[in-house]
This record gives sequence, C-alpha cells and structure tokens, in this order.
Amino acid sequence: MSDDYPSLLRSEQMSLVQLFVPTEVAHDAVAELGELGNVQFKDLNPNVNPFQRSFVGEIRRVDEMGRRVRFFSTQIEQEKDVVPIRPLYDSAPLIVVGPRAPQAMDELDVTLAAHEQRLTQMNESYQKLSERTKELIEARHVLRETAVFFDKAHHQTDIRTSFDDSSAPLLQHDDRENQYSVGTGVQFDLEFVAGTIERVRVPTFERVLWRVLRGNLYMNHTDILEPFVDPVTGAETRKNVFIIFAHGDALLAKIRKVAESMGATLYPIDANADKRSESLREVEGRLEDLQNVLYNTGSSRRTELTKIGESLRSWQDVVRKEKLIYETLNLFNFDVRRKTLIAEGWVPTRDITTIQLALRHATSRAPACLPFYMSFTIMDSYGVASYQEVNPGLFAVITFPFLFAVMFGDIGHGFIIFVAALYMILAERKLARVDLGEIMGQFFYGRYIILLMGLFSMYTGLMYNDIFSKSLHIWHSAWDFPSNTTDTKIVGIDNGHRYSFGLDPGWHGADNNLVFVNSYKMKMSVVLGVIHMTFALCLQFPNHLKFKRPIDIYANFIPQMIFLQSIFGYLVICILYKWSVDWSKATTQPPSLLNMLISMFLSPGKVDPSEQLYAGQPFVQVVLLLLAAICVPWLLVTKPYLAWKDMHKIKEQGYVSISGEGDGNGIHRNSSDEVLEGEEEGNGRAIAEDGDDGEHEQHDFGEVVIHQVIHTIEFCLGCISHTASYLRLWALSLAHAQLSEVLWSMTLEAWLEPTGVFEWIVLIVMGVFWFVLTVFILCLMEGLSAFLHALRLHWVEANSKHFEGGGYAFTPLTFANPDSKE
Amino acid sequence: MPSVLPILFVLVIAVGLMACAALFTPKGPQQVLIRTSLMLALAACYLMWMVTYLAQLHPLIGTPPSTA
Repeated sequence: MSDDYPSLLRSEQMSLVQLFVPTEVAHDAVAELGELGNVQFKDLNPNVNPFQRSFVGEIRRVDEMGRRVRFFSTQIEQEKDVVPIRPLYDSAPLIVVGPRAPQAMDELDVTLAAHEQRLTQMNESYQKLSERTKELIEARHVLRETAVFFDKAHHQTDIRTSFDDSSAPLLQHDDRENQYSVGTGVQFDLEFVAGTIERVRVPTFERVLWRVLRGNLYMNHTDILEPFVDPVTGAETRKNVFIIFAHGDALLAKIRKVAESMGATLYPIDANADKRSESLREVEGRLEDLQNVLYNTGSSRRTELTKIGESLRSWQDVVRKEKLIYETLNLFNFDVRRKTLIAEGWVPTRDITTIQLALRHATSRAPACLPFYMSFTIMDSYGVASYQEVNPGLFAVITFPFLFAVMFGDIGHGFIIFVAALYMILAERKLARVDLGEIMGQFFYGRYIILLMGLFSMYTGLMYNDIFSKSLHIWHSAWDFPSNTTDTKIVGIDNGHRYSFGLDPGWHGADNNLVFVNSYKMKMSVVLGVIHMTFALCLQFPNHLKFKRPIDIYANFIPQMIFLQSIFGYLVICILYKWSVDWSKATTQPPSLLNMLISMFLSPGKVDPSEQLYAGQPFVQVVLLLLAAICVPWLLVTKPYLAWKDMHKIKEQGYVSISGEGDGNGIHRNSSDEVLEGEEEGNGRAIAEDGDDGEHEQHDFGEVVIHQVIHTIEFCLGCISHTASYLRLWALSLAHAQLSEVLWSMTLEAWLEPTGVFEWIVLIVMGVFWFVLTVFILCLMEGLSAFLHALRLHWVEANSKHFEGGGYAFTPLTFANPDSKE
Repeated sequence: MPSVLPILFVLVIAVGLMACAALFTPKGPQQVLIRTSLMLALAACYLMWMVTYLAQLHPLIGTPPSTA
C-alpha cells in the first residue's frame, strides 16, 4: 500500500552494498556520496593503526590547513570591530573534485600558508611596537612628574642662594657642600634616581630602601593616573613615578640594584630643566611616530583579515569535507591486484538507484573512461536486534496525548495549552533561530505534541464537564432540582433524559459528587488501561510474523493474551455490563465488582445468588480461572521444551556433519572461519569442538530457561500491578479537579459581586492572581506531572508487552553540517 | 427512557469515520502516520464518550443532593 515511502511503523529496509572504486575516482565518488548523505560505510581495516592507513599523508596536510583556518577565525574573532565574513552560500565555490582537484588543493595550501605568514608577522611587529609605546609613555610620565618635584624643590630655596640659577647643574656643588649636607637630607646636593614601579610594590620598595640605606635617602612618588594596558593580554597595571635623592655613588648603586630587583624601570633624567624639556619634546615626537606606525599596522592587518574573511567560510567547508572524505577513504580496502578500492556500506534499499546515479555522475568527470561497477549483497536482519521491529512511537503520537488528557481534563486549561502550542508553531521560523535555553527549547521541540495534548484535554474537559472548575450546561440534564425551600437538603429527580456528551452538570456542587465521579473515573481507568495493554500486546504479533518466529506466537503471544483477557478482560466486560443494567428494575442487588473479582480467586465456583451479576456466573468464572491457570505453565514451559528438543536433535546430527558433508540444520553451529578450517585440518580437533558445542548448547539452554521464567513471572505479576497502575489516570484527574476548585473558591468566589470601588479593585487583583496561579500551577506544574505519568504508562506498562529496542541509529556519511549557523 | 441504543448508534458512526480515514487518506510520505493517528484518535474519543455515557445510564447512587 504505502511501500513507496518510509513509514513510522517500522525502520527502513537496509541493504548491504559493496562498491568497487578505481583509485583515481575514489575521492570524487566519496565526495558525491557525502553530498547525498545516505550511506554508512563500514570500517574494512579495523586492525590497522590509524597512523598506518593509506591516506594518512593527505589527512595530515588537511589537518594543517584546518589549523591555519582555525587560526584565521580566532584572529578575526579577536578583532574589536567586527570583520565581515562572507557566508557560505554567498562564497565562490572551491572546486575540489574532478580533474583539476589536486591543483586546486595545492593552490589552497600555498594561499593559506602565505596568509598565515603575513598575519603572524604583522602580529609580531604590532606587539613590539606596542611595547615600545608603553615604555615611551612611561618615560613621558617620569619626565613630567620629576619636573613637578624639581619645581617644588626650587620654591623652597631660602637657604642656598646659589641655587637661584635653576640651570646650574647640581653636581658641581657636590664636593663643596658635602661637609655641610651630610645628614641634613637637603635635596639639591644629592644625585637622584628616577623611574616607575608598580603601585602595589611601593610600600615594600620604601621599606627595603630605608633598611638598606639606613635612612640616607629622600624618596618622593606620585601616582600615574591612567593605568597601562598590556596589548597582548589586556591586563591593566597601575604604576607610580618615583624619584629618590641620595648622596654618593655607593648609595646610588645600591638604590639602582634594589630598584631593578623590585621590577622598577629606571629612566635617565637630567637635573637641568631645559634638558628635561628637550627630552620631553623628543619623547613626545617619538611617541607620535610610533602611534602612526601602530595605526598603519593595525589597518593593514584589518585589510588582510577582511580579505581572508571573504573566503574563510568556503575554506572551512572544503577543509571539513576533505577531512571527512579522506577519513572515509581510509575505511576502504585496497585491492592491489585490480588497483581498486573496495568499500562496504549500509544503504536504505529505497535509495540504491539514487546512489548509482550519483556515482555515475562522479565518474563521468574522470578524464579516462575507467570501468566502474557495483555488486550487491542484500542481507536483511544482519544481526541488529530491532531492525524492522514495529515502532511503538507511531501509536504513541495519539495515545500519549490522550492519556495525558485523561489526567488533565479541563476545557479552560486545555485551551491555554493549545494556544501556547499554536503560538510556538506559528512563530516557528523565528523561534528556531533564537537560542531559547534548555527548558524553553524542550517545550519548543515538542510543540506539536503539546498541541495535541491541548486538543485532547479540551475533549476530555468536555467529557468531565469541567471548565476552570465550573461546568457547562449545554444539553438537557438528567436531574431536576425542585425549588423546594422547606428542606435544607434538595434531592434531584431523574427525568429520563441523559446528558449527551460528558458528565451531567447536575453532579456539580452535589454532596455526593465525588462518590459518583470517583467510581466513574476509576472504572474508566481500568477499562482504558486494559485496552491499552491489550493493544500493546497485540503489537507483538506483527513482530513475530515479520521475523518469522511462529514459535513465539504459540508459546508467548497466545498464552499471554488468554491470561490477560480471562482475568482483566473479563473484569472490563463486567464493568460495562453492570453499567448497562437498570438495577432499579433488576431482581438482584448490584454486586460490588471488586469483591466479585476477589471471590472469583478465593472461592471459585461459588457465587451468592442474591449478588450475582448474571445467570450462569459461577460456571463461567471457573472456566476463566482454569484458562488463566493453564496459561502460566504454558508460558513457562513451552519455549524451553522446544529449545531442549532442538538441542537434542542437533546433538544427534552433530556427529554426522563432522565428516565434512556440511550441515543441513546447523542452526546452532557457528560457521566461523576458524571452525571450518579446523574441520578441514583433522577429525581429532572436530570432536573436541563438538564437545565444546555441546557445552555451548547447555549454556544456551540454561539461559533460555531462565529467560522464560523471568518473562513468565514478570508478565503474570505485571498484569495485576500494571492494571492497578492505570488507576493513576483517576488519581491525577481527581487531584487536578480538586486543585482547580480550591483555587477558584479561595480567590475569586468571594469577590464575584463587587459593590464598591474597593471591591472592584480587589476583584481585579484576585482575578490576576487567579490567572497567574492557573497558568503556573494548574497548567505548568500539573501538566508536567501528567506528562510524566502518561510517559511512564507508555514506557513501563505498554512497552514491556512487546518492545525489544536493541538497534542503533543509522549514521551516514554526510556533508550537511548541523552546527552551521547559516 | 435511557437505553443503550445511542451507544451502538455512535459506535456505527465512529467505525464509519475510521473506515473513511483508512480509505481516503491522501498518499504521501506521511500517509501511514496520518491514517493511524486519525483512526486511533477516533477510537479513543469514542471509547471515552461511551464509558461516560454508559456510566450515567443507570446511576446507582440515587440522586444528587444539592446544598445550593
């Protein structure tokens, strides 16, 4: 019927194909297959070290190119102003297949190397220049600050008149004033050391100098206001300018040593003011030049990067594809005799013709007309356990939202969820590009399921007749309430109608509302649960048919079905029957179904006539009980017994096949290469092998027995516990309804008839409060809770009835890049 | 007079709709999915309606008193 398309029911049929590829066109063929993206290649050289494979050299070269491309992209990212990168769909394509391919790759290699060299050169010179600039700036600061010191000092000349002349060099007076100035600490006789040091080190510096020079120094320091920024790391350091006045060469030498050990930078400053201003001018001039050069270097670097940015994406793409191609080529087997490469891979059977076309296209670009052919080996079920198993996900698309809705059941809340999902779907394209974060991303990912959940919730809300904890009165109710004001308790009267869709609104607000509704919901949960489990069990059947396991049908499926139906199917039928009987006109009392089921087990064959559900009940119940009782040993024993019989048959015939005639029914014999070689070499070996085989069989048989015991116990006990587990459908819907009612009665109910302005305000506030709590608690929290429980019901109760789930996903070679942002 | 007939009536309608879904789903890559979903949804909705209707057909608890 629908064989043309893959369906959700089963995984696709796969074929194992072998390709014989001439070496010249191998690269292009793999490129073409990669573009298609539906072949998964097998590794035909599993024992070969990655460093010994044939295409290691090419991979190394491509890796080098990849490193360069990564270097470029990090450099571009580091630029403060954004460098435009031309997106992939806009870039000129690089042709890497066809006759000119090797040339193109070589050119690319050379281009990348040249760009890298230029960039690194520019980076180095930029760094050197920045360092130089930093030094010059420090020198300028030192010059400025020392000028301040000297100015201050000049204004304090009241003692030495000879220093009115500011240009007189200090050193001239050194010897003469020595006898006067020792110990007085006046600055002008003394020589000085000036420089910069990090601010944090200043106190230490002062202390060390004080100790070393025994106080024979005068130190002054100021902060440099702007911090220095390291161009490479971007770290900021704050420095101070210091100037130290001391007397004597020895002291000065000591100061210099201490300064250098503390990491200070010393600058030669002249005492003469004119000379100082000259140096300042020089420094400023050099600084300006350096800034110019820096600026030029920066801008030429930018142009270089822009040029790189034009082709960066296409280079990245080419490098990535080439790497994938060569890695894939490494998986192939090189056939020396025919000078071809042999590849094996998995392909969806449907796509085989597309692949043939693609390969033909690839090879048509080859200059020489080399022969090219493909051989098929189609093997289904290659050993992957759930290849082509029935996929329960297909049915869960509907059953999951439905079971969720049974637990959620409110028209209003369902509507809110529906609208939220609708918004996400309509705004799909916009939201898909934004990074929504983990939680919102999950909600967005499941928007279609959430839509279905909302829809079904509105339906079950209609069934439960619950809209924001109120009920609708659409059709004719079954109950009339007389407007009788004498009694405090009003009793409704049955008027013969039955409410067409859902729960009668007469129950809303009634005292015994919960008694009725609980009974209804519990029974409904059991009914739905048994039907869901039966459905899941039936999914075993197509699996057994597909995999040609008729034994499983008779040994597993049928006894399980009979066991489930004879107890719980019977219960469901009783529930439905009991509902359909008009007990006010029946001759017997309506029996309690729970007691009925229990006494069916505890006292089979005895049913109190005044409490029987239908005539002939004892007999029917005994029959059903016996059926169930037979099913247990049936399930337990059949498969192991058949396996044991098989084993004996093989054992007897095992001796026959050793003489080399070949097996007809060697189902359990391993036909691996070593065993067959062993047979050829000698009989002596074969007997030992058979002994091994026999033990192997014992081992297998033991496993089968254990597996079957576990399976039987799991199933039989599981039937009971899973049926009870479905009662959570009742429990959660009850909790939801009660929460909804409580929320209403505690917020809005008291304020619904506002009289004054104050009451209006309170009404509005309460209304907002009610809405917020509805969305967050009732929709989100209860929604997540119901989601979880519905999922659990599917995974445990339903899937344990049929699902094997041992396959692995198909990962084809594909060039489509899921991380690409374009 | 409350009777079981509406249940059978609606059952026939539901089965009819399911048959339509089975036969008339347009062919395409999602045919199996759409068909299965429609049929399952119809079956599930009918089931729930049927249980709700049946439960109220002959209510065991006499009549709902109201304190309003």
